[in-house]
Amino acid sequence: MLIIENLTKVYENGFVALKNINLEIPDGQFVSIIGLSGSGKSTLLRCINRLIDPTEGRILWNGLDITAASDDELRQIRRRIGMIFQQFNLVRRSSVLTNVMSGRLGYVNPLLSLVNYFPRSEKERAFAALERVGIAEKAYNRASALSGGQQQRVGIARTLMQNPEMILADEPVASLDPATSHSVMKYLQLLNREDGLTVLCSLHFLSLARAYADRVIALKDGVLEFDGLPGEIDNERFKMIYGEDAVEVEIH
Amino acid sequence: MNQRPEPARSQRALRRLILLLGAVVVLIIFSYGWNVTDIDFTVTQQPQRQENVASALSELLSPNIFEQDYEIQNTTQSFLMGCPTDYAAPETTPVDGQPYIEITPACGESGEIVTIRGYNFFPNSLARINWIATDGERRIRQVDNTQEDNFVTNGDGTFDVEIEIPRIRGTAGETHTIEAQGRFPVGLPRFSETAGIVAEKMVETIFLALIATTISIFPSAVLSFFAAHNLMRPVRIPLGNLLVAFILLPIGYWIGASLLSALATFALNVGSGGFSTAAAGLIVVVGAVVSNRRLNNPTVMLGRSLPRSILLTALIAAGTVTAIGLLGGLALLIDQVQADGIIGNITGFFGSLGELIELLLIPISGIIGAFALASIGGTLTRGALRQVTIPTSHLLGAGLGLLAGAILLGIVASIGMAAAWLGLLTPVIAAALASPLLPQLYRRFISNPVRPVGAQKSLLSILSWVGAVIAFIVTFSVLGLSQALVEGVLPPRDVAFTIAGFELPSYILKAMLIGAVIAGITGALQSTRANFGIGGVLYNITRTILNALRSIEPLIMGLVFVIWVGIGPFAGVLALALHSIASLGKLYSEQIETIDSGPIEALQSTGANRLQTIMYAVVPQIIPSYIAFTMYRWDINVRMSTIIGFVGGGGIGFLLQQQINLLRYRDAGVAVLAIAIVVSILDYASAAIRERYI
Repeated sequence: MLIIENLTKVYENGFVALKNINLEIPDGQFVSIIGLSGSGKSTLLRCINRLIDPTEGRILWNGLDITAASDDELRQIRRRIGMIFQQFNLVRRSSVLTNVMSGRLGYVNPLLSLVNYFPRSEKERAFAALERVGIAEKAYNRASALSGGQQQRVGIARTLMQNPEMILADEPVASLDPATSHSVMKYLQLLNREDGLTVLCSLHFLSLARAYADRVIALKDGVLEFDGLPGEIDNERFKMIYGEDAVEVEIH
Repeated sequence: MNQRPEPARSQRALRRLILLLGAVVVLIIFSYGWNVTDIDFTVTQQPQRQENVASALSELLSPNIFEQDYEIQNTTQSFLMGCPTDYAAPETTPVDGQPYIEITPACGESGEIVTIRGYNFFPNSLARINWIATDGERRIRQVDNTQEDNFVTNGDGTFDVEIEIPRIRGTAGETHTIEAQGRFPVGLPRFSETAGIVAEKMVETIFLALIATTISIFPSAVLSFFAAHNLMRPVRIPLGNLLVAFILLPIGYWIGASLLSALATFALNVGSGGFSTAAAGLIVVVGAVVSNRRLNNPTVMLGRSLPRSILLTALIAAGTVTAIGLLGGLALLIDQVQADGIIGNITGFFGSLGELIELLLIPISGIIGAFALASIGGTLTRGALRQVTIPTSHLLGAGLGLLAGAILLGIVASIGMAAAWLGLLTPVIAAALASPLLPQLYRRFISNPVRPVGAQKSLLSILSWVGAVIAFIVTFSVLGLSQALVEGVLPPRDVAFTIAGFELPSYILKAMLIGAVIAGITGALQSTRANFGIGGVLYNITRTILNALRSIEPLIMGLVFVIWVGIGPFAGVLALALHSIASLGKLYSEQIETIDSGPIEALQSTGANRLQTIMYAVVPQIIPSYIAFTMYRWDINVRMSTIIGFVGGGGIGFLLQQQINLLRYRDAGVAVLAIAIVVSILDYASAAIRERYI
C-alpha cells in the first residue's frame, strides 16, 4: 500500500510542481497518471522514490515513511522500487548485460561490485530477466546498438533485477512508435498481472491508459484533477484535464 | 520585407569617429608592444651576426651522429722561420711506398704562402696540414683561400696545396715542423659517442614524461569528479551533519595518526618480516573488509542497529590501515631480493613503493581515522539532529558553528604562518564565512515579499558582498597583516597559552576567535536543519586550486623541485606530474560535465550507492575521452620534458643546454634531431589513438 499525504513540491525557482496531493494506491494496482507536459507527472513519480525531495507532505509505503528515511534507509527502499524512463537512461557504451546487472547494485557486495565482480547466480538472474523481455541474445551487444523498443526492454530487465514490489514508469513509451509502445506496455502489464507488482505509469495518450490501467489519475498544474476508472473519463472530463482545445488521439 | 531604418547622419558620423579612435588606440598599443620587444631588423643585417648564425646553423644541421675509424699516415718536414741567405733546404729522401712532402720554399716569414706537395698518400681520401711550432702545439692550417680543414688527395696519392705561414710572434730563426696527415676510412661508419649519449637521454626523457603522466592520472581523475559541477552541485547535506563531521575530522585525524598508524606500522613490520605471514594476513584482512555484505534480505530493513554500524565502520578503518601496512611491508620484502637487470628494476620499484607507503603511513592513517570518526559521528547524531525542535536547531547551529569556525580558521591561520602572503587566506575564508550573514539577517527580519524577485536577488548579492568585505577588512586588521605583506615577515609566534604541552600562538587564537564569532552567528541564523550546498563549495575550491596550479609553468615548478630533490629527472617528474594533475583534472572534469545524466538518475533509483553510481553510470561514459586526453598529455609532457632539463629537471634538455653552452653545435644538432623525431612520432601516435576513441 502506497499512501501519499499532502504532497507538495516547490522548486527552488519558486515553481509549484505539486499542490497538496493525496493518494492511496493498494498493492498490485496498475495506475496510469495522465496530464499535459509540466502538469507534475514526473515530479510525482520522482517524489515517490525521492529522486526529488518533496517540500511538504509524507509518503508511506508498506508502513515505511519514505520522506523521513536516511540515505542508507532510502537506498534499501529504492532497491524495491523499479523505475523506467522515457529516455531509457541506459549507459549507451556499456553492454546490455552490464546495464541489466547494474540494477542489482543495491543488493551485491558494494566493494566487489566496484571491480565489476558479480557472483554467477547474479549473472544467471540477469539472463533470466533478459529472457523474460525476449532479448537474451543481445546480452553482449552495446546498449547503443539496440532499437528504442529493445532499449526500453533492457530498462525493464534492469528493473527486474531489483526484484521490485513496485514499478514507477515515467512516460515509458513516449519515445517509441505505436507498435513498439504496445509491446512495452504489454511487458508492464505482464509484470503487473503475473508478479503482482504495483505499476505507476505516466502516459501521454489516454487511449493507452484506457487499454492498460486499472485506475487513472489526472494531474493539471500540479493539482489532482481526476482519480477514477479509465471508463469514467468522458469528453467533458477529457477537456477538463487537457484543456478546451484538446482532441483525443487514438493510438493503436 | 523588413526594412531597417536608415541611421541618422550624425549617428553614422559618430560611429566613424569611434571606429577611428579605436584604430588609433590599437596603433598605440601595438607600437608600444613593438618597442617593448626590442624589434630591430638592422641587427639581423649585420654581417658578423649573419656569419655567426650561418655557421651555427650549418653545424646544427650537420649533426654529429656517425663516426668512423681511420688509418692515419703522418709525415713531417722541418721549416725555418725567416730565411737566412745561406739556408739550404733539408733533403728529402723518398722511400718507396712511404708518404713524404716537399715544401717550397723551405723557409719563410709569417704570412707568406708556401706550397706543399705530397706523395704516396692514400688516393682520393682526406688529408690535412698541421703546423707544429716549438711549443709543440698542433695548429691545423686551412688550405689557402678555402675555409676547409681537409682537402682531398689526387687519384695517384699526390697533392699540391698552398698554405699561409701562421703569424706567431717572435719565431724568427726557429725551426718549425709541418706535418701532413692522410686519413683513410676503415670499416663501416658507426653511431658516434654523442649519438649514444643522446639516445640514452632521450629514453630518459620519454620515461620521465611517461611516469609523470601515469602518476598524474589517478589524482587528476579523483579531482575531476570534484571539479565537475553537474556531479557536485546537487550534493547538499543538512548543516548540522556537516558541522558535526567537520568538527570530528581533526579529532579523527589525531586518533588515526596516533592509534591507527601504530596498527599500520605493526602490520608493515609483520609484512616485511615474512612473505607467508604477510600474504595470509592480507587475505584475512581483505576478506574481512570485502565480506561486509549488504544483507540479501528481500524485505526492506530500516535502521541498522547503531552499535553494529559503528563497529563496522571502526572495523573497516582498522582493516584498511592494516591492509595498507601489510601491502607496504610486502613491497619492502620484495625489495630485499637481490637481483640485477629487469628483476632488479622490479624489486627496486616495489621497494620504492613500500618506502612511499612507509613515509605516508601516518597521514594515511590520520585521514582514514578522520573519515571513520566523521562517519561514526554522523551516524550517531543523524537521528537526534533530525528530531530537534526549531529553536534548539538554531541554538545547536550556533554552538556547532562556533566550534567549526574556530577549527577552520585555526587551521587556515596555521597555514598562514608558513609564508607571509599565505596569511591572506585567513581573511579570505573569513569573508566567505561571513558572506551569507547579512542576506540571512535581511531575510529573517526585513524581507519584503512585495519586492520583485530580480531586485531582491541583486540586493541579497550586494548584502553578501558587503558582509564579506567587512569581514575581510576586520580580519585583516585584527591579524595585522598589512605589515606582514609589506615586509614579508611571518606572523609573530608569541604564545597565548599552552594546553597539555601544545602551544597556541596568539595569532592563531585571534583567527579562531574571529571564525567562532562569524560561524557561530551564521550557524545560529541558518539552524542545523538548513541544507548546505557542500558540493558547490568543494567544486569551487577544487576549481580554484586547479586553475592556480595550471597557471604556473612546469619550468617554474621544476626550479622549486630541483631545490627540493636536487638536479635530475626526479625533479622533472614531480614538476610535470604536478602540472599534469592540474591540467588533466580540468580536462577530465569538463568531460564529466558533458555526460548524459539519465543513467545517473537510473542507477540512483535502483538503490546503488554514490560510488557505484559513479562506477557504472559515469565512468563508462568518460573512459574514451580520458584515454584520449591522457595520450594528449603524454605528448605534451614529452615536449615539456625536453626542456625541463634547462632548469635541472633531467632528460635531454640538460644535455642540450650543456652542448649549447660549450658551443658544440654539431652535438647539439643530434639532440635537436632526436627531439624532433620523437616528438613528431608521439604527435602522430597520440593523434591516431585519440581519433580512435573520440
